[in-house]
Amino acid sequence: MKKIINLAITDFKIVFRDPSLKSFFFLPIVLFVLIIWGVPFLVEKYDFLQPYIPLFLIIAVIENTQLYCFVSSMVLIDEKETDVAKVYGVIPFSKTEYLISRFLIPFFFTVLLNVILLFVQPFYEIGILVNILVSLLAAAVVPLYAMAINSIVQNRMQGMVYIKAFNMLVLIPVAAFFVPESIKHVFGILPTHWIFQSIDNLANGCETGFMLGIGFLLYAILIWMVSKVFVRRHFI
Amino acid sequence: MIQVENLVFTYPRNDSPTLKGLSFSVDKGEVFGFLGPSGAGKSTAQKVLYKILTGYKGIIKINDKDLSEWGSNYLEKIGVGFELPNHYLKLTGKENLDLFASFYQTKRNKSVQELFDMVGLSDAIDKPVEAYSKGMKMRLNFIRAIQHNPDILFFDEPTSGLDPVNAHKIKQHILDLKSEGKTIFVTTHSMEAADDICDRVALIVDGTLQIVDSPKKLKKQFGKELLNVELNSGEQMEFPLKKIGDNEAFLTFIKSDDVKSIHTQEATLEEVFISVTGKSLKQ
Repeated sequence: MKKIINLAITDFKIVFRDPSLKSFFFLPIVLFVLIIWGVPFLVEKYDFLQPYIPLFLIIAVIENTQLYCFVSSMVLIDEKETDVAKVYGVIPFSKTEYLISRFLIPFFFTVLLNVILLFVQPFYEIGILVNILVSLLAAAVVPLYAMAINSIVQNRMQGMVYIKAFNMLVLIPVAAFFVPESIKHVFGILPTHWIFQSIDNLANGCETGFMLGIGFLLYAILIWMVSKVFVRRHFI
Repeated sequence: MIQVENLVFTYPRNDSPTLKGLSFSVDKGEVFGFLGPSGAGKSTAQKVLYKILTGYKGIIKINDKDLSEWGSNYLEKIGVGFELPNHYLKLTGKENLDLFASFYQTKRNKSVQELFDMVGLSDAIDKPVEAYSKGMKMRLNFIRAIQHNPDILFFDEPTSGLDPVNAHKIKQHILDLKSEGKTIFVTTHSMEAADDICDRVALIVDGTLQIVDSPKKLKKQFGKELLNVELNSGEQMEFPLKKIGDNEAFLTFIKSDDVKSIHTQEATLEEVFISVTGKSLKQ
């Protein structure tokens, strides 16, 4: 456990000593301001925005996850580019411990951000249990995203390109809200679809258990598969 | 300590093996060198030995136990000095060392300060590694590899990027580790470094071991048993080493003028390598 915490703390030091990464921690503040004051102001002023409130919330939740998606991806890419990743291959620190320590803080920080966001948003009353479940599901994007990118790229330049692509990828399921109901789950192949649908159901007072269940299952499968590839490629 | 028999390794997606049946052993307290040009398979062999690469064929035994049977306690016993510097640039030298020390159960037998002093990095201990030169980072590589007092050390080009003074210091530290009973496996294409520190060297080309012996024996075996004498006048002659003291021609020659230089004609390791493999180490 001490090993895991040591590395998690080291990540924090690395991030806060890198001005380009540190600045990303202002992103949630902007999102909170928009959700608490900005969106209610706009909705009040422009009535036609009323049906899109769930979408605003969905975007805010997923953008909260993007903070650590980017930061974790960059930390890992940097580790690969500087060959520090190779050191982890020859020390008594298992790959599971490595993954836990790398995503422990990012995951729980993201969960916390979304729990707070869903709690303070002024549009719907959301129970704490379902709030936590939705936040946990949303935070699962972070390890999946960072490991997937790091299984593909070799350096920061490639990383920036793929991060752009992945940012679009996580948002594609928003399109499900603009297609006929009968085909909206076509987007279910992308795991963020199930986060979006869960939040939408929540906003509409519908049952979310099924969406959350599929989401957790899909994330579990994808994280397991991607972690296998990541472990095979990251330390050599 | 290390026994390797008929080691074959093929990288995934490669048709032909990179290591083609290597067999050698390294004794406890020995400095064993793998000499070969780039792409010969030196680093691949090391990676197999420190379990980064799996899926090899053949037998590898560490302390008479098959490598595949060793768990994470094997990684407690080994230290790896990489060919290129690899550190967290935003962390200080000390933070880098402390982080990686924290993964081992074995505690350091030298303090961080002593380790930094050892390689002349005392002034840089609290500086971020991004401010280090390449040579400083390589010295940090070295102390990171040895800080947990491992029994077996793997060094990949340990003097690469170092100035002559620091290269000499690192070679001396490797010899000190050997005198402490550490088993040291060095891969290099620097015949000078190999000559200075290795008890035995293995010459490897295209994944095949060509010859294994001590540098001294190899240089003698592939050299000429001659003495080259050059006088101040510029005149040079070669004499057979055998019974040189009784060689009247030699004695007359060195009395004829002041001697500028006298050299035996043993081969350098590079010449040995070229003789054995027909290739240059600098390829």
